[in-house]
Amino acid sequence: MTNALLEPEIVRARGLGKSYGALAAVKGIDFEIRQGEIFGLIGPDGAGKTTTFHIMGGVLEKNSGEIAVLGGSPRNMRLSIGYLTQQFSLYLDLSLIENLRYVAGLRDVTGRLFEERAARYLKLMDLDRFPNRLAGQLSGGMKQKLALCCALVGDPKLLLLDEPTTGVDPVSRREFWDLLSRVCSEGVTVAVATPYLDEAERCGRLILMHEGRILEEGSPAGLKERLGMHRLEVRSGKLHEMEKVLIEAQSLQAKSNGAERVLFDVQTFGDRLDVLVPDLEQGRALVRQLSQKAGLSEPLLSEQEPTLENVFVARLKHDLPEEEQKPFPFVAVNRELSETNSPGLGNSAKYGAIEASAVSKRFGNFQAVRSVSLRVEYGEIYGLLGANGAGKTTTIKILCGLIKPSGGSMALCGQVSDLRQESLRQKLGYMSQKFTLYDDLTIRENLEFYCGVYCVPEALRKERIAWVLRSSELTGQEGLLAGKLPGGWKQRLSFGAAVLHQPQVLFLDEPTSGVDPLARREMWKLIRDFSRQGTAILVTTHFLEEAENCNNLGFMVAGELVAEGSPSRIKEEQPGTLYELVCDDLQGAYARLKGQLEDWRTSMFADCLHVVLDDGASELPAVLSALSAEGVKIRSHRQVPFSLEDCFISIVQRAQRAHFDIAAKPQPPQSGGQK
Amino acid sequence: MNKLNYFTQLKALMRKEVQQILRDKQLLFLLFFMPILQLFIYGFALSPEVDRLRLGVVDHASSTVSRALTAALVVNDVFELKESGGRDAALAALVRDGALDAGLIIPADLERRYRAGLKTNVQVFIDGVDANSAGIAAGYVSQILASFNRNLSSGSQESREIISPQISFAYNPGLISSWFFVPGVIALVLNLVSTLVSSAALVREKDSGTLEQLLMTPVSSKQILLAKIVPLAALLMITVAVALLVSVLVFHVPFRGNLLLFLFVSFLAVLVGISIGIALAAYSENQRQSLLTSFFINLPVIQLSGAIAPMESMPEFFQYLSYLDPLRYYVICVRALLLKGGGFSEIWIEVLSLSVYAFVLLSLSSSRFRKQLK
Repeated sequence: MTNALLEPEIVRARGLGKSYGALAAVKGIDFEIRQGEIFGLIGPDGAGKTTTFHIMGGVLEKNSGEIAVLGGSPRNMRLSIGYLTQQFSLYLDLSLIENLRYVAGLRDVTGRLFEERAARYLKLMDLDRFPNRLAGQLSGGMKQKLALCCALVGDPKLLLLDEPTTGVDPVSRREFWDLLSRVCSEGVTVAVATPYLDEAERCGRLILMHEGRILEEGSPAGLKERLGMHRLEVRSGKLHEMEKVLIEAQSLQAKSNGAERVLFDVQTFGDRLDVLVPDLEQGRALVRQLSQKAGLSEPLLSEQEPTLENVFVARLKHDLPEEEQKPFPFVAVNRELSETNSPGLGNSAKYGAIEASAVSKRFGNFQAVRSVSLRVEYGEIYGLLGANGAGKTTTIKILCGLIKPSGGSMALCGQVSDLRQESLRQKLGYMSQKFTLYDDLTIRENLEFYCGVYCVPEALRKERIAWVLRSSELTGQEGLLAGKLPGGWKQRLSFGAAVLHQPQVLFLDEPTSGVDPLARREMWKLIRDFSRQGTAILVTTHFLEEAENCNNLGFMVAGELVAEGSPSRIKEEQPGTLYELVCDDLQGAYARLKGQLEDWRTSMFADCLHVVLDDGASELPAVLSALSAEGVKIRSHRQVPFSLEDCFISIVQRAQRAHFDIAAKPQPPQSGGQK
Repeated sequence: MNKLNYFTQLKALMRKEVQQILRDKQLLFLLFFMPILQLFIYGFALSPEVDRLRLGVVDHASSTVSRALTAALVVNDVFELKESGGRDAALAALVRDGALDAGLIIPADLERRYRAGLKTNVQVFIDGVDANSAGIAAGYVSQILASFNRNLSSGSQESREIISPQISFAYNPGLISSWFFVPGVIALVLNLVSTLVSSAALVREKDSGTLEQLLMTPVSSKQILLAKIVPLAALLMITVAVALLVSVLVFHVPFRGNLLLFLFVSFLAVLVGISIGIALAAYSENQRQSLLTSFFINLPVIQLSGAIAPMESMPEFFQYLSYLDPLRYYVICVRALLLKGGGFSEIWIEVLSLSVYAFVLLSLSSSRFRKQLK
């Protein structure tokens, strides 16, 4: 990778520009992509990433500047380009092999050559076990793998992937990226756009785009280094007060231009604050000083590397004017039906805001949810995590009363029976995965509709609608059809529509899917505002960095809740150790480790490998010497803290293994609570 | 917590439906242009030119009765006598070659059998190249012969001699074929449009996934359904008005009946159509499915109703089957109101039947639709 700059250029852009009418989407950008690298494009919604991809793929003509792909115009080189667009590009009523044969036929790959390639790629993607299954019956992750096969079957030199993993769960996403590394090592050049910054960590080189221009370019490590900041994790018993104090100090510093900024950025998570500081010692001192002044107990500080998200946010914050977000116009809530419960965590009322005990659901022969028990208090944010098909959506639908469980009991807002009652539903807010808004209504019509069905008093409507428009940065656009909005904005507006009536219990099913990191951060701020007003919030997400915003997490595997706890506790209780290995033959080392250890224990990043070992002290020397014996030269190795994603993957994998072990043994008597 | 208000919710739901409908160009096309288009197509283009058909007759009987029979066929200008006399085979050949459109052979024993009160078979050839015109010509022949028979039999009873020779054509004296078609097309279009539009409006929400979100709001399934039906029924009544205007202004169909009664029966027909649409929506997962299924239901409903083909040209079994077809009653009502000028007293049985159908179908289909919302 070090000599990447010497590799031949696959794509070369100079002063590349494209406008749609009066709107300039790409404003004269220069970049080059070199042979065999994974090149990443990141940036907020509307930055011009998709337009750039369209031009590289020969789908759109540029307006100005130059672009050369493999030495020719993109249009003429289309046969050498594999392009995976944002939407699933598969025929859902054709089988795997039929989809592949169709795409291959278009690219004139037939006969023996096709059979060979199909067999190779299906095996590589681990899809060769069911070539005749319909594409429509595959999970999201498998669909994307098949789409990748389709893009690869024409044997392209350049692979363009536009947000290939949106809506795909973490396990499948990691697998997808490991595959990209493999494909890349076979000489294919990959350009990929992604809203997930943990994925961007795996690119060799990145550009950060904003409003049609390139803001930053470099390797993930280089970008982080250039940021020149340290990340300070702050843990405190009184997180909310701590946050207030720090944000106050930070915005005061930001306003006094010229003065030295000790606190650059403060970000709130479920059980900690992340503070970006240019100088570590000054930062530590200031945080301590501030907390003392506010009469708070000594906070727990730990220094960490900045993340790409820090780079993203810091770089864009420079560019965007800091806006004061007005809070939602809350009205005092009188919880008549649930007097026994007072807002706040850890009370001992009879029922939580959401309470499920041993809830299960069976569809025919398929046990979608088995004996799930959980409790969410008023004011708590609870994150439900799990791979696609783990039963999260079914669980949410049971919890909010949309479907009846086949076993177990539950309570909502203290009510145990008649969960479909209209007066109960008025206290609930629900944001479904994609379909909260009516595409054929304007933004204002959508909001007025929800005000109407929830009977928001006329006096409050104007103010609340104005709030939603402001919070989703759509003020002045209310006449636009909702269907015309880009995904990120749509999600923010949907969130607004789901909370217009100030619900007491809020269900959010993947609220931030497709939302850029900056807007995602704003959205979480709003979610926290609601939780502080006493709203109980249950949220699902595929984005594990974001799960840090939750107070408590539940991990689901195969319909079962297998682990529960606060983000910090989950990370602490994670068995084993995570090591980062830097070595010269990354591909070779990766292949060897895969042979040596269980699949999930190894994953490949741009310049290092991550390895999870149960007993690091005794296992690591053996692993290292085995690699050395095979001729892999190891430059360095160190222990790194688990990220939530690491935890997620190992929890899921361990649970699945345990599950299969149980399944292999004679079944113990079922206690599913079936009635 | 804000108090829930039934009418605030209903108003919000209805306003949303109207906004969605008004923004759906396809739906608006279906509602307002399809009726006009269909009326023009059936009224002008498809209305088969079955007047002045070239007729050849071989009259072996050469009697009063046989001459009266020939005269009955030509008197309306439906047939024009081109050939008479000659041999049977020659006549058949002329029809086969296309020189004649129809041929009639009257057997020599017609007069004798008629006097003896026996049934006589006459032979009719029809040029079947244009199957549609042929079918209609055959229909005319059998209608004319039927009325001729009635005249003869009533004539033999001596007591009621003075009967109009053309009873069955009294409401369309010139046999203007567009007059026959226009009321039928109104019924056809109304049925098609109301089922398509209502199933589309109901399935759309399932299709796009917003139904789930809607079910989480504190509205009842009754409100959801009501809010969908009311604006549609109102818009479909405009469709009825448009169709009526086109019929009167363009085709000069005499509107002889009571306008209020016409609007009332049309409203019933709209409800029947909407009910079919709701049922389609309840059993379909997406718009494509409901559209395809609607063809299986709408085509037989329209064919059986007598809207296009005369009821008399149907086999007997299907004539009985048509009693099960709600559209049949509407077609009868519209013909009566538009052409005959009949009042409620003449069509009360049809109006009653249509009301019963509308009530039963609407309650069945909406309870079925609401059940799947639970």
